[in-house]
Amino acid sequence: MNVKEKVIEALRSVYDPELNINVVDLGLIYHVDVTVENDVNVTMTLTTPGCPLHDSITTGVRYAVQGIEETRNVDVNLVWEPAWSPEKMTPEGLRLLGR
Amino acid sequence: MVPNTMGSETNIKLPFSFIIFSLVALVLSQILVLVNGQMLVDGSFRIPAIWSAAHLLVLGWALMVAMGAMYQLVPVAFLTKIWNEKFGFVQFFVTAIGIASFSWMLYVSPQKALVPGIFMLLGILMFLFQMFMTLRKQAKPNILTAFVGSALVCLFLTIFLGITLIFSLQTGFAAQFYQAIFKSHLLMGVTGWFTLLIFGFSYKMAPMFSLSHGFPMIHARYVYGLYMAGLAVTLISFFNDNSYLLKSGFFLLFAGFSVFTWHVSIIIKKRLKKKLDHSFSYALGAIGLGNLIHLAAFIALWTDHFSILIGPLVYLYLLLWIVLSIMGYLFKIVPFLWWTYKYSKEMGKKAVPSLKDVMNEKVVVPFFSVFVIAVLAVFLSIIFKSILLFNIGQFVLSIVFVAIALTILGVLKK
Repeated sequence: MNVKEKVIEALRSVYDPELNINVVDLGLIYHVDVTVENDVNVTMTLTTPGCPLHDSITTGVRYAVQGIEETRNVDVNLVWEPAWSPEKMTPEGLRLLGR
Repeated sequence: MVPNTMGSETNIKLPFSFIIFSLVALVLSQILVLVNGQMLVDGSFRIPAIWSAAHLLVLGWALMVAMGAMYQLVPVAFLTKIWNEKFGFVQFFVTAIGIASFSWMLYVSPQKALVPGIFMLLGILMFLFQMFMTLRKQAKPNILTAFVGSALVCLFLTIFLGITLIFSLQTGFAAQFYQAIFKSHLLMGVTGWFTLLIFGFSYKMAPMFSLSHGFPMIHARYVYGLYMAGLAVTLISFFNDNSYLLKSGFFLLFAGFSVFTWHVSIIIKKRLKKKLDHSFSYALGAIGLGNLIHLAAFIALWTDHFSILIGPLVYLYLLLWIVLSIMGYLFKIVPFLWWTYKYSKEMGKKAVPSLKDVMNEKVVVPFFSVFVIAVLAVFLSIIFKSILLFNIGQFVLSIVFVAIALTILGVLKK
């Protein structure tokens, strides 16, 4: 498993506490970039601008990635465009919502 | 891609201070109503104990909850931080002391309620100032700003009219308009402040809790226009005593509320979350009940029994629309506040509970169902003047209120 795969796996442990679905299956993670020095840049969004769990989720993402031994610096970049839409969810995420 | 690094979390001690005070006021208001049941059944709504209980319920509980919730929700809904949190704590103490002393004075000596009333007014004015300073920082005002901003204006008018009533009672000032001012005070407080506020925040919370996407927002403009017109026309009708204007005003209010109900149903149909949380479902149910009460009030206007029915209908509106909505949302807001305080820093480091694990959701259906039945029993007891039914209904209601208050406080142990 390479570092990028490990990062994505770690992100599956970060849950939206309202929906109880992890940020990967919820489709919140747009990009994971890992440099040759193992600096990690995560580009992500939230289901709605002004989500009250804004700080909690982004901090959770940072902590989860920092918990991987190989990673060095971690940067979490929160974006609103392109906006989140249900199409970004995985089949597992949709299943958990009862869809 | 547009980055956004703006956080939205408020120091939870601020909203929590308001919410804990409110739960105590809720329990006290119920005890007062229970003790003075006979007078209510006799149709004596305007007695010191009922004034005190009504203000403890409406100001001590509902207003304080609304203020606490706004300290939490305004940054969420308007993407702007609270202007000054320290000022918020000072505002809490001033308002809490003001409401407690005002309610007490209404009970023991209403003629002396002016000074505590002014103290309470100061607390509410501080809140309005805080919100004004916060909202003016909003980058792009939207229809939610119109709802919440208008609700705040109505709150100011409610308090202003309330103080005028006390002043009139004490000095005889504007005595010929006393009835009109009293009705306007109720209209601005109940349908102006609370309804507009719940409308505004529902537009943020309903899609958030149901994970709805792709719904239209154009209806909100019609809701706002119709409801505001209804408030204005009804207000004018009180002062020129015109029954056609009153009927037109009540119709516009009903029409505005109906469009809101329709709009929320469109939003909910567009949801991704198939199974909604029970407490949120009750908050949605409260919208339907509020709509029915608006219709009932409009129909009652065309009968000879309006003066008898309007008191019980206002009671029903307060309990089944405003209180039920607030309680439904409180079961979502309080766990969120506590979870943020206790677990947000642990997220990503170890497994943390979900918001559902923090609140005991199993009690919602029995508690809220009994609440609705008890309110209907009290309503019918007032209509049919049945002291037995009133005592049973109000006793059950008080017990449910206390149980709900303890369940909410129980979150602090999770």
